[in-house]
Amino acid sequence: MHPATSPTAGMPAGRNHRTPRTRRRFLRGLAAVALAAPLALGAAACGGDEAADDGPVKLSVFWWGGDARAKLTEDALALYTKKHPDVTFEKTWQANQGYFDKLATLTAGGNPPDLFQIDDNYLAEYAGRSTTLDLTSFKDSGKLDVSKFPKSLWQYGVVDGKLAGVAAGENTQGLVYNKTLLQKHGLPEPTTGMSWEQHIAWAEQVAKKAKVPGTQDPSADYKAFWVWLRQQGKDLYKGTELGFTADDVTRWFELWKGARDRGATPTADVIHEGNATDITKQLVVTGKAATSWVWANQMPDLKKNTKDELGVVAYPGDPSAQWARASMYWSVFKGSKHRDVAVDVINFLTNDPEAVALLGTDRGLPSNLDLRAKVSETATDPAMKQSIEVESELAQKFGESPQVPIKGHSKVRSELTKAAENAQYGRATPAQAAQQFLAACKSAIG
Amino acid sequence: MALTTAPGRTARTGPAGPRRTRRGAGRARLGEGLAGYVFLSPWLIGLMGVTAIPMLLSLWLSFTDYDILTPLTEVRWVGLANYERMFTADPSYWHAVRVTLTFALVAVPLKLAAALGVALLLNRTWRGVGLFRGLFYLPSLLGGSVALAIVWVNMFNRDGAFNSFLAVFGVEGLPWVSDPDWALETLMVLAVWQFGAPMVIFLAGLKQIPTELYEAAAVDGAGTWRRFRAVTLPMLSPVIFFNLVLETIHGFQGFTAAFVLSNGTGGPVDSTLMYTLKLYISGFTDLEMGYASAMAWVFLVAIAVITAVFFSTGRFWVHYSDGEEDR
Repeated sequence: MHPATSPTAGMPAGRNHRTPRTRRRFLRGLAAVALAAPLALGAAACGGDEAADDGPVKLSVFWWGGDARAKLTEDALALYTKKHPDVTFEKTWQANQGYFDKLATLTAGGNPPDLFQIDDNYLAEYAGRSTTLDLTSFKDSGKLDVSKFPKSLWQYGVVDGKLAGVAAGENTQGLVYNKTLLQKHGLPEPTTGMSWEQHIAWAEQVAKKAKVPGTQDPSADYKAFWVWLRQQGKDLYKGTELGFTADDVTRWFELWKGARDRGATPTADVIHEGNATDITKQLVVTGKAATSWVWANQMPDLKKNTKDELGVVAYPGDPSAQWARASMYWSVFKGSKHRDVAVDVINFLTNDPEAVALLGTDRGLPSNLDLRAKVSETATDPAMKQSIEVESELAQKFGESPQVPIKGHSKVRSELTKAAENAQYGRATPAQAAQQFLAACKSAIG
Repeated sequence: MALTTAPGRTARTGPAGPRRTRRGAGRARLGEGLAGYVFLSPWLIGLMGVTAIPMLLSLWLSFTDYDILTPLTEVRWVGLANYERMFTADPSYWHAVRVTLTFALVAVPLKLAAALGVALLLNRTWRGVGLFRGLFYLPSLLGGSVALAIVWVNMFNRDGAFNSFLAVFGVEGLPWVSDPDWALETLMVLAVWQFGAPMVIFLAGLKQIPTELYEAAAVDGAGTWRRFRAVTLPMLSPVIFFNLVLETIHGFQGFTAAFVLSNGTGGPVDSTLMYTLKLYISGFTDLEMGYASAMAWVFLVAIAVITAVFFSTGRFWVHYSDGEEDR
């Protein structure tokens, strides 16, 4: 935006009376500055190849999340410092919105954090540009222990054969519903394994009896679309291509057009509200729908925003379409001067009994299965307990992990939202919206 | 803000007097000139470091595939590919252009009309008029603030204050900010509501119109409307011109409110995808900073062209009556 605001003033008015020689020197100086600045930036960006692990180390850590996560993470990091007094942390955290803008900007400025949180929406973007350190050698040497992780979970951090991130926790898709509302109206609770048709019929029934739309329309939600695709034997991506066709998208949009026409979902503008907002304003907590489509580990967070009892089940259809997803990863910046320390901190955060007990299930179920069992036994928060139970139960049914979403995925997501909303507002038929989506995807990942 | 001093500057566009007299100075004053640069240096360093160099850098980047994450030393030169894609292969780019033009074409004239109207009312001498001037100016002090945009969104959503107000009259309102047909209009209303800055400038301009002109017109039998058309408007035209140019540029640059209203997506269904928002999304969300830089440069040129068009038409309707005759 700088160019747009720049037409401020011209060159200094006094320039005209300078002698040619001083002016030349002046201009040469300017040129030197102009040339030097980007070089300096570039140099800063690629510095830091030498390992400097002795002496006191200050490691910068960056994550997104709320106050609760900040508290837990700070406590866990303090514990590390207690055990390793020469390592201290420079902690930065913020809300999810704007996090990746900031991370990208920090990276561009040659000043990225040594250790940062990332999720599968961006992992390939960063790994594909070699911004993340390949952790394979650390895994092989045992400095980074993933032996207690479910295999599919740590493998979900592999991009192009490189271990780009370590799962900070595990989650899966979860359909959260308002238990209190259903009980009040004597309505049945949804169950895992319901078909999509049954889910919509159930939602219609809820809408009729409770006067609250039974389900948020998830047609704009990539994670719901993804599960549905896998149940059709397709996938979101295959290699560097899309794993679905325009026909699949049309059928998906038509499924939900049917649901909207039957009154099972809210109106388009309310659906949009649910699409556009963060976890605190999901329709299931604002009372505008009886169910929301989220990640199972977000249950405790949702619970904080409502007085009603909530329940969680898998998304409709065959639950084997769901998988052990890394809810988020810890990644190390490739140019970090303290790689070994950063890797050791990841190892600590995921495998140290005390640290894992401190962190609980805030980032999803602990990746280390032994410690997961311990944390589940000692959980006291009822919402957390329930989400652990459901996730552990689902874990029995999980299918194989898909590949990590490819470069351009963030755009595919936003294009899906746009196309689905076009259909929701009745500005396009499902088939037109599907065509539009496919065309946009091709340019996004092409 | 430098706004308030500017009308005077616009009105004085005679031959550049001061510059010419200084030109005679020769080598003898070299030391003095150097001192000038030293005194200038804080500003100069700021201009170079914060504006000029990044700008030139972005011009270069606009011909590359820079994606933010790759170091600058490794970017690839792609020639005009970014510009080509913008003009031929990206429908959402043209959509953003349309949204921005619609926004500016509606919001800017309405804002100027509101500013002029209120300025005319506040130009009279009532008791407490100063208070009203302050009150009307207040919204624009809050400017492009995020807080204001958040308030706006909450006022105009389905259960917002505006709909409660309509309900008093038995009218059922719409979910303004979540309706693709109305979201942009909501932003226009917000822009118009912040008419304080041009209003204050209009007010200053109105104060400068000599009362003799009105007296003479009244003696000649001119009514209120006639006095407005024949005296106020022509005398105020330099100020109108200044406000028009400035507000048009502001209108094109609208970003904050659209960003907040749509959570940075330009939604619902791209209805608030302003040019600058599209640029931001391309650069920071889609990580296509080279493409975003190209967009920024086209934007800069477009605004420069529009401003040039204003200046070239200005001579037909802008009257600098005081300048030439008095001096």
